[in-house]
Amino acid sequence: MSGFALSRRSLIGAGIGGATLVGLGGLPAAAGQTRLRMFWWGAKERAERTDKVNQLYLGSHPDMTIASETLGWTDYWARLATQTAGRNAPDVLQMDYRYIFEYARRGALLPLDAYVPKALNLSDFSPAAVDSGKVDGKIYGVSLGLNSTAMVYDKGLIQSLGLKEPVWNMTWNEIGDLAAEITKAAKRDGFTGMEDGGGNEPLLEVWLAQRGKSLYTAEGKVGYDDKDMTEWLAFWSDMRKRGASAAPDVQALDRGEIDSNLLSLGKIAMTFAHSNQLVGFQAINKSKLGLSTFPDGGQGAKPGQYLKPAMMWSVSAQSKQAEAAVQLVSYFIADTEAGKLLGVERGVPASSAVRNVVTPMLDDLGRAMVDYISLISDKVGPLPPPPPRGAGEIQAVLRRVNEQVGFGRLTPADGAKQFVAEASAVLARG
Amino acid sequence: MAAAHTPETSWRESATGYLFLAPWLIGFFGLTLGPALVSLYLSFTDYDLLSNPRWVGAANYVRIATSDPKFSAAMHVTFLYVALSVPLKLAFALLVAMMLNRGLRGLPLYRAIFYLPSLIGASVAVSVLWRQVFSGDGLLNQALKLVGIHGPSWISNPDTALYTLVALAVWQFGSPMIIFLAGLRQIPKDVYEAAEIDGASRSQQFWRITLPLLTPVLFFNLVVQTIDAFKAFTPAFIISGGTGGPIDSTLFYTLYLYQEAFAYFRMGYASALAWVLVVIIAVFTALSFLTSRYWVHYDG
Repeated sequence: MSGFALSRRSLIGAGIGGATLVGLGGLPAAAGQTRLRMFWWGAKERAERTDKVNQLYLGSHPDMTIASETLGWTDYWARLATQTAGRNAPDVLQMDYRYIFEYARRGALLPLDAYVPKALNLSDFSPAAVDSGKVDGKIYGVSLGLNSTAMVYDKGLIQSLGLKEPVWNMTWNEIGDLAAEITKAAKRDGFTGMEDGGGNEPLLEVWLAQRGKSLYTAEGKVGYDDKDMTEWLAFWSDMRKRGASAAPDVQALDRGEIDSNLLSLGKIAMTFAHSNQLVGFQAINKSKLGLSTFPDGGQGAKPGQYLKPAMMWSVSAQSKQAEAAVQLVSYFIADTEAGKLLGVERGVPASSAVRNVVTPMLDDLGRAMVDYISLISDKVGPLPPPPPRGAGEIQAVLRRVNEQVGFGRLTPADGAKQFVAEASAVLARG
Repeated sequence: MAAAHTPETSWRESATGYLFLAPWLIGFFGLTLGPALVSLYLSFTDYDLLSNPRWVGAANYVRIATSDPKFSAAMHVTFLYVALSVPLKLAFALLVAMMLNRGLRGLPLYRAIFYLPSLIGASVAVSVLWRQVFSGDGLLNQALKLVGIHGPSWISNPDTALYTLVALAVWQFGSPMIIFLAGLRQIPKDVYEAAEIDGASRSQQFWRITLPLLTPVLFFNLVVQTIDAFKAFTPAFIISGGTGGPIDSTLFYTLYLYQEAFAYFRMGYASALAWVLVVIIAVFTALSFLTSRYWVHYDG
């Protein structure tokens, strides 16, 4: 799910079109040279940081070249799958929790256990951080940063309206009340307090977790029933009626990227996103932004949010320079000099040593993110089972069903029935 | 030259020919026929790009025919789009062509200006522009506001989204217009002069002379534009952000195919969808040719 959200950010640059091929030391590889290919999703800011690390690494590895390539989130997965199918996978690739099980179980990734601790230095990783990259007991991915869902809000606007900023332990209804107040106080045409979150899958996941349910069971079935979904869709239907959240034709303008998010379009004051996206949001929003948690389930509810590896490095099973690839990965995640260059752009570093070096040199934004991660660290639940095959499509189904309710084509109850039936059918088909 | 036509020289001559043909031949076999055959094979498999393709027989086609509500939704959207955009676009192209044919001063300039949208038509930039014009506080609604109308967000309302795409298609009338213009130039002036002497009105001249003599050109434009409309992808992809939304109201067939292949990794099923589209386009083209003998006049 950070994948879904990260895509918003990484797609900003992708609109310009296509891949930026950055060949470092791009001369044809001479005899005895190791040529590594590296592929990841992300935009300009990430490209600059990544290339700096590569250059630093090449300084002490003159016998090496690194061809580093980037695309936006959506195009990235299509390209990676195509390259893997064509036996042309990059040596080092950026992996997401949503896909690591699919790739690992199909033998596309190299198990990294044999390289620890000599080539791969995980000594400063917590056991939980190491486990987050494991599939069936073996390490297939190494975390580049920790991340969680977060509410991004227009701090400047809410303060100027004389209202209270959202805090971490607000319930769903309290957030709704605040949103309605913001709408009323702002008095702007087509402006509402918060986004219509009914079609937002990470938000639904947190809401379900607070009631002890999940999006998917460990067996890959849906983890909720008609009743849950009816309440969910009815909650957002009510929010729209109260003017607390965006009208359906306004919400439909959000195409899942930071630059089309209603907050960036100046249509709402609160949006449901991911913590490391704060940098991306702030870059294109004039007003000062703040970070808070998703709504709390109220007294006695289970924790809904969880910490997840924002992004991981994996090594392709097809790689002919596996050892060199693993060493490069190790440099990225465990070297303090590399850590300084990467900052928290991919999330908060998982290595405690790197985190200790990076934290003091952060700007306000970076510090807000680190503070946020430490604030929620003792309020989070366990990492849920990974999304099964077909889960990507269910995101689209959720969005559509919420639109059908929003445009008055379905009642919340009928929408719930339809959603559960369609989601189950998608999972059955795989 | 004629006397020296030995087998050796003819081989040499044809070798040169094949050499010049080589780029096209390589392109045709490597980039068209080869992939087409592979996709035909894949359409009978379950293939997710990572694991090996698994033969499933006609299962993909059976699912398309019997149990895929999104296929029906995409079909509905696509047929509506073709049925609306092609006639409107051709009518508009003909209208403008006739206006330009009146011998305007600065004709080449107008021709270029009207052709421009077609040239850049299918591009991402124009689709992005279109999104700006038709969004909630876009250009159109700002204009409407001046006359006191509060317009909806055209591109993000399921009742209107498809029509903005039809409007975009009609706006790109340039290439059929140029062809119509060439066709109009072919009609001899003395036919009109004779008709005028016989007292034929303007509209009679249009229906009895212009249109019948233009039918071969109209036929050509119809076939080309219909095929193009079935294949339309970029505008819907950009305007809906690849979702086909809101509520699948802009789920063009090719967009659905793309989603299945590259968003949900069902390459086998997407290949089957692609072949169904090939058949549909072939059927429509064949129908056009079959009916053409009744309305296309080549004896100009």
